[in-house]
Amino acid sequence: MRNPIGWAALTVFALAFFVFIYAPLFVIIGYSFNSNPVNMMVWDHFTFDWYRGLLGLADRSQDGAAQNRALYIESTDQMLAALRTSLTVAAFTTTISTVIGTATAIALARYRFRLKGVYNGFLMLPMMMPDIVLGIGLLIFFVTIGMNLSMLTIIIGHCTFLTSYVFIIVQARMAGLDPALEEASADLGASEWVTLRKVLLPQLAPGILGGALLAFVISMDDLVITYFVAGTGDTTLPVFIFGMIRRGVKPEINAIATLIILASVVIAATGLWLRSRKTD
Amino acid sequence: MALLEIRAARRVFVTPEGGRVAALDGVDLDVGANEFVTLLGPSGCGKTTLLRSISGFEALNGGSIALDGADLSKLPPFRRPVNTVFQSYALFGHMSVARNVGYALEVRGVAKGQREAKVAEALEKVGLDGMGARRPSQLSGGQRQRVALARSIIAEPRLLLLDEPLSALDRNLRQQMQLELKALQARLGIAFVFVTHDQEEALTMSDRIVVMRAGKIEQIGPPRDIYRRPKNRFVADFIGETNLFDLTVERIEGSEARARTPEGVELVLPSQGLVAGQAVTAVLRPADFTLAAAGLAGTVTRAVYLGQDLHLFVQPAGGGAEIRVTARDGAAAPSAGDAVHLAHDPAAVHVLEAA
Amino acid sequence: MALRRQSIVLSVLLAPVTLFLGVFFLMPLAIIALFSLLTPGLYGGVEWSFYHWNYGRIFGWADGLIEIFEPIYLQILARSLGFAALTVLLTLVLCYPVAFWVSRLPPRARLIFLFLVTLPFFSSLIVRLYAWLLILKPSGVLNSALLSSGLISQPLEILYTPAAVVLGMVYVMVPFMFLPLFAAIDNLDRALVEASMDLGANRVQTFFKVILPQTLPGIMGGAVIVFIPSVGNFVVPDVLGGAKGLMIGNLVEQQFLSARNWPFGAALSMIIMTVVLTVLMVSIARATRRGGQNA
Repeated sequence: MRNPIGWAALTVFALAFFVFIYAPLFVIIGYSFNSNPVNMMVWDHFTFDWYRGLLGLADRSQDGAAQNRALYIESTDQMLAALRTSLTVAAFTTTISTVIGTATAIALARYRFRLKGVYNGFLMLPMMMPDIVLGIGLLIFFVTIGMNLSMLTIIIGHCTFLTSYVFIIVQARMAGLDPALEEASADLGASEWVTLRKVLLPQLAPGILGGALLAFVISMDDLVITYFVAGTGDTTLPVFIFGMIRRGVKPEINAIATLIILASVVIAATGLWLRSRKTD
Repeated sequence: MALLEIRAARRVFVTPEGGRVAALDGVDLDVGANEFVTLLGPSGCGKTTLLRSISGFEALNGGSIALDGADLSKLPPFRRPVNTVFQSYALFGHMSVARNVGYALEVRGVAKGQREAKVAEALEKVGLDGMGARRPSQLSGGQRQRVALARSIIAEPRLLLLDEPLSALDRNLRQQMQLELKALQARLGIAFVFVTHDQEEALTMSDRIVVMRAGKIEQIGPPRDIYRRPKNRFVADFIGETNLFDLTVERIEGSEARARTPEGVELVLPSQGLVAGQAVTAVLRPADFTLAAAGLAGTVTRAVYLGQDLHLFVQPAGGGAEIRVTARDGAAAPSAGDAVHLAHDPAAVHVLEAA
Repeated sequence: MALRRQSIVLSVLLAPVTLFLGVFFLMPLAIIALFSLLTPGLYGGVEWSFYHWNYGRIFGWADGLIEIFEPIYLQILARSLGFAALTVLLTLVLCYPVAFWVSRLPPRARLIFLFLVTLPFFSSLIVRLYAWLLILKPSGVLNSALLSSGLISQPLEILYTPAAVVLGMVYVMVPFMFLPLFAAIDNLDRALVEASMDLGANRVQTFFKVILPQTLPGIMGGAVIVFIPSVGNFVVPDVLGGAKGLMIGNLVEQQFLSARNWPFGAALSMIIMTVVLTVLMVSIARATRRGGQNA
């Protein structure tokens, strides 16, 4: 009963949409193998140089082009440092926001208390607050109370909004859970603590994992809040790339960007696999 | 002394509109050590609240619940020596069947070897031997039901609570499980308190039925008593199909009394305790009437075919409510529009106590 | 006794979020509000005295000596609102047909295409914007293709224009519009569509009279979550926009990192926050009213 012409038009539109979404990513991947160091927009020939450069394998001593490259390689160490910072921040942020977000979700789903509605609404705010407002608010706050900008301030900044993300995801899982499961556990002799450990947390596990994964991905990608609350010494990868783009694009960016795209595909696929796994 | 003693139990809920509803309004109930008691009533009658007060998921606002003479009401659910079979079964999806069944022992710190033996034994009792390694999601509805049962009896409770455990099963399986549950209860020798809104289920399984309405107990008694000798109109109406007649006694003739409805339908009642001129309500089940050559005259308005039997709706000649009659199907069976006469055995009539 | 136990567990569960967000979310917001009413220090920082010219510079009162009213701030605010609205409109027009298409695919294909829509969300925002920089540059992919095909003889100047900013915002916001739309369209009871056609409505009528109203909550939801981050965006205009693509977020960033006029930046942030909270309140009020009607 579908109108075949309409459906065909819709299909063409949809496929064009997916080209729009993916073409830019493929452009980057393509350029990451272009050997032209002077004008990276003009195709020279295929090379792995930029990847080798990233891994610190480039030959620094040969011809002029290599000399050129040697300049870029200076930034490699900084980039690896930024990656390390990003991973460290994301690891701490994920842990903290997952613990707090999960505890909050359990509290709001399983207990009745007067301020419940207030909490539910309030927890939406950090997600909806534009990151620039939160970023400068944190910046003024840290400076005013005399706290040095460091990795710690980045972690705090990320946790302020990622706790809400984890909360939302765990709460959704919680809402789908049969309350009789916890009652059955208590009925069979398990205390509140044992029920939490043996029944509630395992049942919530897919939601908690999903929330943690999301928190990790967003923390790794956050630019704006990090940009404001990072100290001079601690740059994360997105801020580092942002800086590179502002100072003038260099070919390594393409290689870094390609690796980031690949990593994100892997993470997203893992997330999808976790979600699609049967959990009943 | 009874195993379970409930005295003057009260539980009041505050509705979202701020009103107060008594889910339990002064309930007294005793359950014996090896008894199958069913709580029966329409939804909202308080039967589930009563069950959850025994298991500890609802706190009473007044009254007491004692098991073996020891007060339960201060104990949290996990310290009460009673177990529950939940309506949704509430099986832990992240555990195997065996771990589900052994859960009560696991949380009490029973050693693994001992646990395994008990689990195997419990699974065998419910006819699931060898299924321990499966996941609940791999089982059928009936099998999940049995896992829930095995899980709840493994800690050897004195009292098992069952919250509409058969409502998710289809009709055939339900009937089979009714018989199995009853047999299991007899074999285990423990008390069952069973909640249902299905009167047929209650009649089939129970030693005693507790009929509840609006937080109060309407009647307690064995199934036959509840069916044949309902205490009031509500019980008579709720259990089985019923014809209720509001009559005035006209005269007493020895062991029989003649009584008449305002429309002129005449019935013969057992005369015991009645006096002429008294207003009474009589209960007659559809099967208490027989088609006869003479007697109460009426016209069949509808005849519903039920297989063996035929369900007739008979409009009495004098007017008044239609009478429901069960008749044997056959060549001579009447159909809609036919004139019939109804007879009944006076001894079969149950007269309700005056309200 | 049971009640007291419960309140202990509850406090343990709620204490972390209350403390954490109380200190690191509410205090920063409060301090922005406070700073927006303080005097800018001569060399950055603040002086702790009340000062209303921060807002005066934006909304039109000024002493004409130290603080001068500049209509440019209101223009930039209007532009930010306009860009955000345009982003909402364009993402909606792009996503609605595609969400409809995906919802009508067989289950496996549906899953794959849903995954494909969310995938870019997982890859870095800055990387995706950088890709557009490569494409839109005068010597970039787009111009090279158009020049070599002979369609144009001069490179198009797209980069560092408002168009580039809106394009970039649409690109990064697509998943946020798509998912709520898809949820609404997918939840739509097909029987409603069939009932409408059965009662004699053609496809177009059915779309406007049944499908669109039924999916309106999804449209509103998508609009809100695209609009809010778009208004205060500063990364997209920073990477792809020039002077004419400047948005209020860039203005805030300048006050903090180059102009070092924190109170003025705080006042600008208060405006962003006010816009966002207003949009949120209105949408929540609308949703509650609708919910009330349906119940």
